[in-house]
Amino acid sequence: MVRQLTEIGNNYLRRCHAQVVRCGQAFRDWFQELRSPLVSQTRGVKLLREWLSPEQLTQYDATGYFHVIGSESGKRYRICHGTAMNIYEIDLAGNPRNGLCFVPNAPLVAGDVMLAQKIALETDERGALVVAKKFSPSASAFANTALARQRVNRIG
Amino acid sequence: MATQIIMDRTGDTRHYFDAKDPQALLKAEERFKELTLVGFTAAVRTSSGEAALTRRFDPTAEETLFFPRLVGG
Repeated sequence: MVRQLTEIGNNYLRRCHAQVVRCGQAFRDWFQELRSPLVSQTRGVKLLREWLSPEQLTQYDATGYFHVIGSESGKRYRICHGTAMNIYEIDLAGNPRNGLCFVPNAPLVAGDVMLAQKIALETDERGALVVAKKFSPSASAFANTALARQRVNRIG
Repeated sequence: MATQIIMDRTGDTRHYFDAKDPQALLKAEERFKELTLVGFTAAVRTSSGEAALTRRFDPTAEETLFFPRLVGG
């Protein structure tokens, strides 16, 4: 009798334990899913920062964008924090001339996209411009660096 | 330790290997070929810190970065 009760009790405890383990795992998965986009964004920005020149890094930290020099034309481009429509060819006075859009053909976080754009313009400007689509830069989007700055701050 | 950094949706995936180990080097070279074959662009950093594209596996590169093919957005 006692043995039977003990067995029933043990089985019950085993089931409870399994249930608790399953709930814990579900919670961990949910939490991981919740924080993973932020982790990815942070990792992307970290990689970008590792590859920026000291001048570009200072500029990016201060403004949320950085400038690159085209490898063939010597033109100056501004790469703003973002994943699309975030590149501007700029003139000597610092005004936008053309908006350029080219991106890696895979879903990547902002830091990765900006790094790929930087390397492309600095090493194979012609190749980048061949695939790039042009757009008219709006003065407000070009000038609105405060928004970009906020995004960079949020990511850390 | 040499590193191959592959951009992906998680930010990046890194493969570390000992460049003095022939087996590890062979594996890294195979990875390089596989990635460039499917359209990834490989870049290394020069001694002055600038990025340079590379089409061949460089066994002396400390860090090789791979990013997907660029397309018009």
